[in-house]
Amino acid sequence: MNIVLIFLITIFSVSLFFYGRSKTKSISIEKNIRLNALPKFYGYYLVLWCSIPALVFLLVWSLFEPVIIKSIIIETAANQGAIFNDKNEANLIYEKIKAIHLGTYFGDIDSILKESALAYAKFINLFTNSKVVLIFGIIIASVIYSLKKIKNNNKARDDVEVILKGLLFVSSLIAILTTLGIIFSLLFESIKFFSVINIFDYLFGTNWSPQRAFVRDASSITVAELEELKDAFGFIPLIAGTSFIAFIAMLVAVPIGLFSGIYMAEYASIKVRRISKPIIEILAGIPTVVYGFFAALTVGPFFRQVGENFGLTVSSESALAAGLIMGIMIIPYVSSLSDDVINSVPQSLRDGSYAVGATKSETIKQVVIPAALPGIIGSVLLAVSRAIGETMIVVMAAGLAANLTINPLESTTTITTQIVMILVGDQEFDSPKTQSAFALGLTLFIATLILNYIAQRAVKKYREKYD
Amino acid sequence: MNNIKIKSKNLNVYYGDKQALFDVNLDLNEKEVTALIGPSGCGKSTFIRCINRMNDVIDICKVTGNIEMDGMNINDKDLDVVSLRERVGMVFQKPNPFPKSIYDNISYGPKIHGKGETKSELDQIVENSLKKSALWEEVKDRLDEPGTSLSGGQQQRLCIARAISVNPEVILMDEPCSALDPIATAKIEELIDELKKTYTIVIVTHSMAQAVRVSQKTGFFHLGKLIEVGNTEKIFKNPDNKMTQDYITGRFG
Repeated sequence: MNIVLIFLITIFSVSLFFYGRSKTKSISIEKNIRLNALPKFYGYYLVLWCSIPALVFLLVWSLFEPVIIKSIIIETAANQGAIFNDKNEANLIYEKIKAIHLGTYFGDIDSILKESALAYAKFINLFTNSKVVLIFGIIIASVIYSLKKIKNNNKARDDVEVILKGLLFVSSLIAILTTLGIIFSLLFESIKFFSVINIFDYLFGTNWSPQRAFVRDASSITVAELEELKDAFGFIPLIAGTSFIAFIAMLVAVPIGLFSGIYMAEYASIKVRRISKPIIEILAGIPTVVYGFFAALTVGPFFRQVGENFGLTVSSESALAAGLIMGIMIIPYVSSLSDDVINSVPQSLRDGSYAVGATKSETIKQVVIPAALPGIIGSVLLAVSRAIGETMIVVMAAGLAANLTINPLESTTTITTQIVMILVGDQEFDSPKTQSAFALGLTLFIATLILNYIAQRAVKKYREKYD
Repeated sequence: MNNIKIKSKNLNVYYGDKQALFDVNLDLNEKEVTALIGPSGCGKSTFIRCINRMNDVIDICKVTGNIEMDGMNINDKDLDVVSLRERVGMVFQKPNPFPKSIYDNISYGPKIHGKGETKSELDQIVENSLKKSALWEEVKDRLDEPGTSLSGGQQQRLCIARAISVNPEVILMDEPCSALDPIATAKIEELIDELKKTYTIVIVTHSMAQAVRVSQKTGFFHLGKLIEVGNTEKIFKNPDNKMTQDYITGRFG
C-alpha cells in the first residue's frame, strides 16, 4: 500500500512539474509579463509542495500506526476477557492476533482471540482507508496552495531555495540525531552495568573474565555473588592489549607507509606512480577477515616455527602476528594520505631549498616533511584509530584470553574482540556480562574521541606555526 | 669593464618538443647587475635557471649548448650540482621562506654545506646575512619567529639573506619584486645596488624602470631568442634593434 502511495505521489509530482513549467510559460507569454524565476523553478516548486508534505505525513503515520493499533487491540482483547500479567504476555497475545489475521497461526483459537482478530482486521482497514484519504487531502490542499502561489508569479526560485535549505538541514539533523542516539544507548546500558559493578573496579581491575558473571538477572544478584564478580571485569588487560597490538601495527605501518608515501610523491615517475599507487591501495580493499585468516593460518604458525628454531615459545596466536598483519593492512592509510599531503607542499619551497644547494633527500627531510607534518600526523592518527577499532584480525590471530602481558609472542586480546566474544551467541540482556559490552563500547568511544581531539589540537598547533 | 663571470654559447633549451631558448649567446660581467627584459614566456627565466641548473628539477627539460662559469662547464653531466648551487644562489618570484623560524631559514644552507661548525659561527653567519639583506634591524629580536610571519617585502629580503648565507658568487633573481608593493620594491632595489659590490647579479624583470635603475647591462629576449644586449643606458636610449625599441616604448609586450 505504501509503495503504491509513494508511486502515485511521484507520478503526480512529475506531471505537476511539466504542468507548472508550461503553465507559467504560457502565462508570461499571454500577459506579456516578466516571470520572477525561470519556468522550471515553478515546476520544481509544485513538485516540492506536492511531494514533501504527503511523504512526511506518510512517514509519521507509518511510524505511529502500529503503536496505536497495538494499544487499541490489547485493550479490546482485555475487554473481551483475555488475561495477561505483564507486558510480555500482552505482546504475545498481540502477535497471536496478528498471526490469525494473516492466516499464519496454527494453534488453538478461542473466542477471545477470534473476536480480537476481527477487531484487528477492522482497525487495519479503517486506518488504511483514512491514511489514503488524508494523503490525497494533503496533496490536493498543498497543490491548490502552490498553484495559487505560482499564479501570482511568486519568487519561485527563492522559495525553492528555502525548501531545499530545509531539506539539507533535516539531512544533517538526522546524522547528528543518530550519533546522539548511539551515544545515549551506550550510556544507559553502561549505567546499568556500573550500577552492578563499581566503576573503579572496572577501570583499574587487572583481571578480565566476564564468563564468571553468567548469573541470573542483575537485579537479583546477592551480596556474595557481587563480591565474586567484583574482580571479573578489570579493564586494564584489555586496554593494554589494545594499545599493545595497535603499537605493533603502527611500528609496521608508519615507517613503511610514510617512506612509500615519500617515494610515491617525490621520487617515483608518473608512470610508476600511476601503477603502484592503486596496487598499494588494494591493500585497504582486502576484507579484514581475509587478513585475519592469513594472520591466523600462515603468519602465526610461521612465527611459531621460527620461534621454535630459536628455542622460543611462541603462542600460535600471538600479538606479534596480529599486530604485524594489522600494520600491513593500514599501510595504505598512511602512505596514500601522506603522499597527498606531500604532493600539496608547494614546489616553490623545494625550489628554495634546491637553490641553496640542498640535495633531494635533504630537501625532503628538512623542508618538505616539516611543511607536511600536520597532514602526516593526521594520517597517522587516523591509522591509529583504525588499528584500535580493528576486530577481525585480532579475533582470529591474537586470541581471546585477556592476558596482561608485554611479550609480543604471547596471545592477548583487545576491547573490540571482547565485545564480539561477549555478544556472539545467545545472551541474557540483563546479565552484567552482556552489559559489560556496552561499557567497553563506551570506553572505546571515549578513548577514540580523546585521540581525535588530541590529533586535531596537534594539527592546529602546527598549522598556526607554519602559516 | 669587469671580467666575464658567466658565458653562454649557443644555448638551447627544450621543454619536451617545445624549444624555449634558441642559440643564446650572453656574457655576464662579474660584480655587475645584468637585467633581462622581455615579454612573458620569452625565455628570460629559462635562461637564468640554466645558470644554477634548476631546470634539472623539470623532468622533460633538455639543455644543449655551452654555458660556463669561470671557465667551468655548467652543463657538464658530471658536474656536482650541489656545489654549483652553493656558488650560484637564487631568489624567486614569490617569496618562499621555509616553514621554519627566521634563524633556521638562514642557517639552513650553511648547515647543509658544513659552514659554521659551532653555534657562534652559525649565529655570525645569520647576523651577517641579515645585515647584508638589510633585514637585521627589523628582525634581530625575533629570530625564532616563523619566517612566514614577516611581511611580503621582509620575506623577500629573508629569501635574499638565505641566498647570501652560503656565500655565493652569483645571485639570480627571477622577478624578485613582482609580488611586492612599491616601498618594498624600493628597498630591494637599494639592496641590489649594495650587493653588486660583492656579487654578480642577474635579474629578470618586467619593469623597464627597474631595469634602468638597478642594472649596468640589459638583455632583451623575445620568443626564446636574445634580440639585443648591451649597456643599459644604450639599450634604453638608443637600441640598435627595432623590436627592442618597440618593447621598451611599450608598443608591444
